[in-house]
Amino acid sequence: MPISREYIIKRLILLVVVVFGVLIITFVITRVIPARPELLWAGAHPTPEQLEKARKELHLDEPIYVQLYYYLADFFRGNWGVSWRTRQPVLQDILSALPATLELVIVAFIIAIALGVPLGAIAALKRNTWIDHVIRIVSVLGASVPVFWLALILQLVLSSWLGILPGAKRVDELVVYETGFKPITGFILFDSLIEGNFEVFVNALHHIILPAIVLSFYPFGLSARMTRAVMTEVLSELYTRSALAWGLPRRLVIYKYALKNTLAPVIASLGLSFGYTIIGAFMVELIFVWPGIGLYAAMALLSYDYPAIMGCVIVVAIIYTVINMIVDVVHAIIDPRVKL
Amino acid sequence: MIPEDVKIIFRLIKSNPVSLAGLIIVAGFIIVGIIAPFIVPYPEDAWGEVYHMERRFQPPSWEHPFGTDAMGRDVFSRVILGARFSLIIAVGVVGLALIIGIPVGLVAGYVGGKLGTALMRITDMFLAFPPLLLAIALAATLGRGLVNTIIALAISWWPWYARLVYVQVNSIKSLPYVDAARIIGLHPLAIMFKHVLPNALTPVTVQAALDMGSAILEAAGLSFLGVGVKPPTPEWGLLVTEGWTSINIAWWISLFPGLAILITVLGFNLLADAVREAGDPRLRRILLVGRKI
Repeated sequence: MPISREYIIKRLILLVVVVFGVLIITFVITRVIPARPELLWAGAHPTPEQLEKARKELHLDEPIYVQLYYYLADFFRGNWGVSWRTRQPVLQDILSALPATLELVIVAFIIAIALGVPLGAIAALKRNTWIDHVIRIVSVLGASVPVFWLALILQLVLSSWLGILPGAKRVDELVVYETGFKPITGFILFDSLIEGNFEVFVNALHHIILPAIVLSFYPFGLSARMTRAVMTEVLSELYTRSALAWGLPRRLVIYKYALKNTLAPVIASLGLSFGYTIIGAFMVELIFVWPGIGLYAAMALLSYDYPAIMGCVIVVAIIYTVINMIVDVVHAIIDPRVKL
Repeated sequence: MIPEDVKIIFRLIKSNPVSLAGLIIVAGFIIVGIIAPFIVPYPEDAWGEVYHMERRFQPPSWEHPFGTDAMGRDVFSRVILGARFSLIIAVGVVGLALIIGIPVGLVAGYVGGKLGTALMRITDMFLAFPPLLLAIALAATLGRGLVNTIIALAISWWPWYARLVYVQVNSIKSLPYVDAARIIGLHPLAIMFKHVLPNALTPVTVQAALDMGSAILEAAGLSFLGVGVKPPTPEWGLLVTEGWTSINIAWWISLFPGLAILITVLGFNLLADAVREAGDPRLRRILLVGRKI
């Protein structure tokens, strides 16, 4: 075990520091930058009473550091305000929407890695051939395509025109109703499997394919590019070259030596692309009416539902930080050369 | 930038057809962006304040190569003028981010100590947000509009450049020529701006130029989420969004502006890829530290 307890503790402390940083920046954005924060907080067309109430709730008549204290205290008490659109507490809304998004993002990442790593490796092995060029263009496309446009076009062609895949929602309500499916964790694919409800499972899988493919474009491109770059480097290193020179089979060198050493940096880069993907989910969920935090955030943005917007911003930033921390730790476990 | 580096990069770009395509796309985009207002076939349609009852939702034809939209406007004209707005956004975001990021990185790197640590900690806090998320929060606070979009994106963008400059300055400041300047008693500010900064600028400006593609992409994303530029500005992301409601009867309204984004950003990214691979180990190492890998 190359990883020490101090390392973990250090990362945890760093996590706490970063969460505070996120809170302070969002505090500045919501309370310091706007001339009248209560205007943002009180909904689209506030009455004078609503404005006054918002001023009270935000403690705007107090000095700024007292406001910051209440801001942090409210955050840790889970008192994140009430959404103007759903009339529900923001935190509750977000927690109930989270599983749908995580399920979508996980499936997207599975697609991205399953395609990206092998293709990147092939590109590295066949450098500067036509297949390398094609893979390179495809992988760069992943980082260049506007995700909402791709979602709209694929939805139009595959769902509206050809009717191959469903273009909205997570699962057909009719199937859920007929089979009496009750979600446990909110991850429909997982829940239906452990309940043995294959009808719902197949239906949900059918629904997730299109949005997941759209979302997987960016991490796919990144993992393919990273694999290609790192693999190229590893293949040119002395230990792989001497392994080949000793007459070890090429296959063995590629799988056991090169590919294994390629994985750590690829995983590290995927942590970064998680942030991009979850923002992509804002748009993809809006288009595919996928009831996750992305749809919630996008609807909040379109209806100026400010408490909901800021709640989503904080949650997504924290999830991103935690994921990156996990990725760092995993990276350190795989590759002992990495230390803080 | 040292001409030698430029020569190497250009030679590498020329030797690879894919990279060359990237260069041509970027050059084409910049040219169209500059001359757009003078070449659009229907200038009134392009700027957007018109309504042509008689030619709504027309499919692509010789007269209207990209068709017409819900208000009868020529989509081709709007897409062409959109290049101008994308160029403004790209240059604005990257420029403003450099203006904030370079001094922060320079001071943090050169002065170091507690001030340097504090500055870099603040920078790291900004980097705790996924790309675009901070811009979304800011844009939602500032309100829609071209200038606000640029500000929102730049504020979520500068930390990358601050970091890059910081890393550079840190490695440059211990070089013998900087010591020499210090020993002969030059003012610290003079050393910082005249001797350290110019040598730290190359990688960050190269990176910034290549980031313009991402800026266009993110601005389009903001538009789609309703916190970007205001209609009827012909920004590409907004054009795609405008076509969304009628996509089942008029796919061309969304298709072509999206293609314009895709091709332009692809050009920048292919170019970025080429530069990254340019073999120069110094540039390569530096670029790897940079954003989004």
